[in-house]
Amino acid sequence: MGGLQKKKYERGSATNYITRNKARKKLQLSLADFRRLCILKGIYPHEPKHKKKVNKGSTAPRTFYLFKDIRFLLHEPIVRKFREYKVFVRKLRKAYGKAEWTGVERLRDNKPGYKLDHIIKERYPTFIDALRDIDDALSMCFLFSTFARTGKCHVQTITLCRRLTVEWMNYVVTSRSLRKVFLSIKGIYYQAEVLGQLITWLVPYQFAHDHPTDVDYRVMATFTEMYTTLFGFINFRLYQTLNLVYPPKVTQYLDLTSVCKLNLASLARVVATAEEEENQLDLFPTEGEDQENMQAREKEQKEQEAQKRLFEGLKFFLNREVPRESLAFILRCFGAEVSWDKSLCIGGTYEVTDETITHQIVDRPDMDKQYINRYYIQPQWVFDSVNAQMRLPVEDYFLGTTLPPHLSPFVEEKDGDYVPPEKLKLMALQRGEKPVQEDEEEEDEEEEEEDDDEEEDDDVDDEELTEEKNLKKLEGTRAQGKTLAVKVTPGKVKPWETGSVGNKVRLEQEEKAEEKRLAIMMMKKKEKYLYDKIMFGKKRTTREVSSLRCAPAKPTRPSLRPFACRWR
Amino acid sequence: MAAVKRLKRVAAAQPGFISFKSSAGSDDLNSGQRKRVNKNKKKNWNKHSDIQDVEEFLDDVRLQERATGGLISEKPDDSLFFVDIGEQRKYVQPEVQEGKKGKKSKSRPLRIDLILQHDSLVPPPKDILAHQQPNAKKLRRIAENAAKLAAMGVLPRRQKRLLNRRPAITASKSKTAANNFPDRPYYDLWGGDAKETADPYYLEQTGKKRVKRPEKLNSKPSVLPAVEVIAPGGSYNPDFFSHQALLLEAHEVEVKRERAELRIERQLAVNRDDTATEETVFQELVEGLVEEEEDEDEEEEDVSIRGGLQQEKKTEKERRRERADKIKSQQKQAARVFTDKKQQLFQLRSIQATLKRGEQQTRERVAQRKANQEAEKSMPRRLGRLRFQAQDLEVQLSDEIPGSLRTLKPEGSVLKDRFKSMQKRNMIEPRERAKFKRRHKVKYVEKRAFREIT
Repeated sequence: MGGLQKKKYERGSATNYITRNKARKKLQLSLADFRRLCILKGIYPHEPKHKKKVNKGSTAPRTFYLFKDIRFLLHEPIVRKFREYKVFVRKLRKAYGKAEWTGVERLRDNKPGYKLDHIIKERYPTFIDALRDIDDALSMCFLFSTFARTGKCHVQTITLCRRLTVEWMNYVVTSRSLRKVFLSIKGIYYQAEVLGQLITWLVPYQFAHDHPTDVDYRVMATFTEMYTTLFGFINFRLYQTLNLVYPPKVTQYLDLTSVCKLNLASLARVVATAEEEENQLDLFPTEGEDQENMQAREKEQKEQEAQKRLFEGLKFFLNREVPRESLAFILRCFGAEVSWDKSLCIGGTYEVTDETITHQIVDRPDMDKQYINRYYIQPQWVFDSVNAQMRLPVEDYFLGTTLPPHLSPFVEEKDGDYVPPEKLKLMALQRGEKPVQEDEEEEDEEEEEEDDDEEEDDDVDDEELTEEKNLKKLEGTRAQGKTLAVKVTPGKVKPWETGSVGNKVRLEQEEKAEEKRLAIMMMKKKEKYLYDKIMFGKKRTTREVSSLRCAPAKPTRPSLRPFACRWR
Repeated sequence: MAAVKRLKRVAAAQPGFISFKSSAGSDDLNSGQRKRVNKNKKKNWNKHSDIQDVEEFLDDVRLQERATGGLISEKPDDSLFFVDIGEQRKYVQPEVQEGKKGKKSKSRPLRIDLILQHDSLVPPPKDILAHQQPNAKKLRRIAENAAKLAAMGVLPRRQKRLLNRRPAITASKSKTAANNFPDRPYYDLWGGDAKETADPYYLEQTGKKRVKRPEKLNSKPSVLPAVEVIAPGGSYNPDFFSHQALLLEAHEVEVKRERAELRIERQLAVNRDDTATEETVFQELVEGLVEEEEDEDEEEEDVSIRGGLQQEKKTEKERRRERADKIKSQQKQAARVFTDKKQQLFQLRSIQATLKRGEQQTRERVAQRKANQEAEKSMPRRLGRLRFQAQDLEVQLSDEIPGSLRTLKPEGSVLKDRFKSMQKRNMIEPRERAKFKRRHKVKYVEKRAFREIT
């Protein structure tokens, strides 16, 4: 045939892709090395749109890489290091086989190694890029630091991961960036806000580790290698932003808690000065619209500041059976002082017998010796308080009581969706209203006049009820910051009508409803038709939701507290 | 060959040697015709003359002179031999020895010194360098120059080499350059200054500049987030409804799996009633064999007649009739089309309605396709031979839910979760453990002892 006829599979997508084996041969690497290189450089296989074209007519499933990516790989300097390593292994094996021990030593001394700094710099040219990718790195490093130190993966890697995770936790503690915590059956999820980025990571529980067999350890180890490098650099930069010295001096990386205390002492700066340097929002002279935004922002900032000092001034003691690392980390993040039994781990500053301890976290059904002026609570109180951004009333978490369910802070409920009643109570608490039910409120008010006398002395009544009520009130006032000088009539009080706050809220809502009605009247027929359709759909979901809430025939879990069903 | 020849020649030259070939005869024949050899050149001497014996003798002489100091034949008897008369009684005089130590050593040299004296006739070579002594002036000058250079900072070559020699500690430095070294130092990677000092073209051409990373590699392979938080039903102390929702999800997955397993069985299932019984089998075999009533025979005949009619030729009448019919039907058709078109004017509304419906359908389909495409972006891609297997939902049954954190048993493994998450995000292809394939079949052989027994 003639010379200028087009042949099939010579241009277009067929030449843009290359199979894995061909790529490997082009780079002259073994499969394991090729895989490691791809992971380190961040080169992923692609699925072409038209497989038949790329595969030259066959539909056999193959792994394809972009040809330009592989060509880029050819310029990578660590490819040479891989080949040198292969040669090194061969020589070492020969020396071993010939029993030349001096040769073995000499070879070992000159083992070829490679560095990944330039790869990190190339993949993440700016610091913010790296911060965006830190989720994965964090989870991997935390995971590896919980591994047992058997020879399955290098013990050095485990130690390095340990060190990096400890440094990260120290940073979060110092900068008070933790926002959300969630205890799941898989592990503990944390969310922190660092330099404007929301970072979520998962920490497995310290106990119960069975290594699954169908996980490729070499692949995970390569990922970890890359992530530890990235993580170290990020840590350095973060410490720089806080003007702290890096690396922080620690003696042992056994446990975060042991290290935290030492770290805070050895840091170049005391934590208190961090608060002095808070930036005040600059007040710009702005127009009316922007002023609302400004106010909103100021309010937000104030809330954030208040949240950062959630446990400030409190002294905690952790009992033996609670997860020490996690709790110590969280409590320290919000300004509390923590300690534990000295025999458990180094770093416990004060003992059980210290009188100034305000809370003791216990997970047993009961405690033998109980001190008077401290609360004995279960660990869920800490997590729930962090999620609710306020100190919840302690009575729900006393020893032996059935705990309220631990809700996920990562769930954003839209209007009309089912909101669990516990969450409603929480939101009410956050708004600052008394979170009790109507019957209990009556008793509360009756006892208030009696309690005015009893408030001064801190006698402990043997009746648990009155003690509980006392504590509840104290807690409530402490949380809300109000004084007890509210005049209350002995009659039934509805939460809507207490004080001026309720009235304002109601007026606002009425105004809004009025506006809405006007707008609806002014709509065109077509638009009204659409609106009706939307509302119908919404109403249907709310009807379902309320039917769920009030369904008496549903079997309740024995551990759940029964909640009252109310029609609004 | 040459050596052999030489040996033969030498042997032949010895007196009394009798060769195979009789010398008389050979002499008579060859004496006159001895081979003419040119001995004018050195090359030819070496070929045709044999000096082995002389060489040996001279070598021997030299060896004797070197090793034993002179020819052995010329040495006096005393130096070579001594008469062994048995043990001699030596009388020891310790006091005399101490006093006359110095004299004794001077008068009689030690035996060992005597033995160690070199007694070769070959004198030791002359030390030329001992004669080469620079004069004092020269020496002074050299020293001054060295001092001047040292003052300037230039060191002599030897000292420079000593300084340049690296100490042995550097070997250990490269040892700790491993990537996962626990006390690894980090530095500010992003705060460094630009090192581009030279011309970019020069750097590019000489290979000193790094190749630019293609832009496509900076985009993430999947839109999914790196860490997906579990549903609220997965909390260690969940609230009732969210836990039920999670259980429902897990239940659906299980139901799907079971249905897939039973699918094949269902496809192969046969109705009990359809199975062949003996009666039906018999019926089938017998069909068409039994003679039926006559009506059926007639019907059969009619059929055959009609079949026969169709084979006869068409008459003119028939053809004409056919043509007329055709024209009529055509006309009818045209009229119908015409009236249809007219009536369509009144059907505008319904036509519009159908068109609208059609358009809506296409719009819906387009939207559906777009939604599918978006959904595909978050699905894991097919990379490689194996498909992605999502891991089982981590959920604890109602009776497994712990009351407290202490009694919690963690479900699932974070390692597996991370591995699967990476596969889901198209970062690695799904892989399975490699099976162990034997290259050669295993042979089982009985031991000899066993073979004898059995």
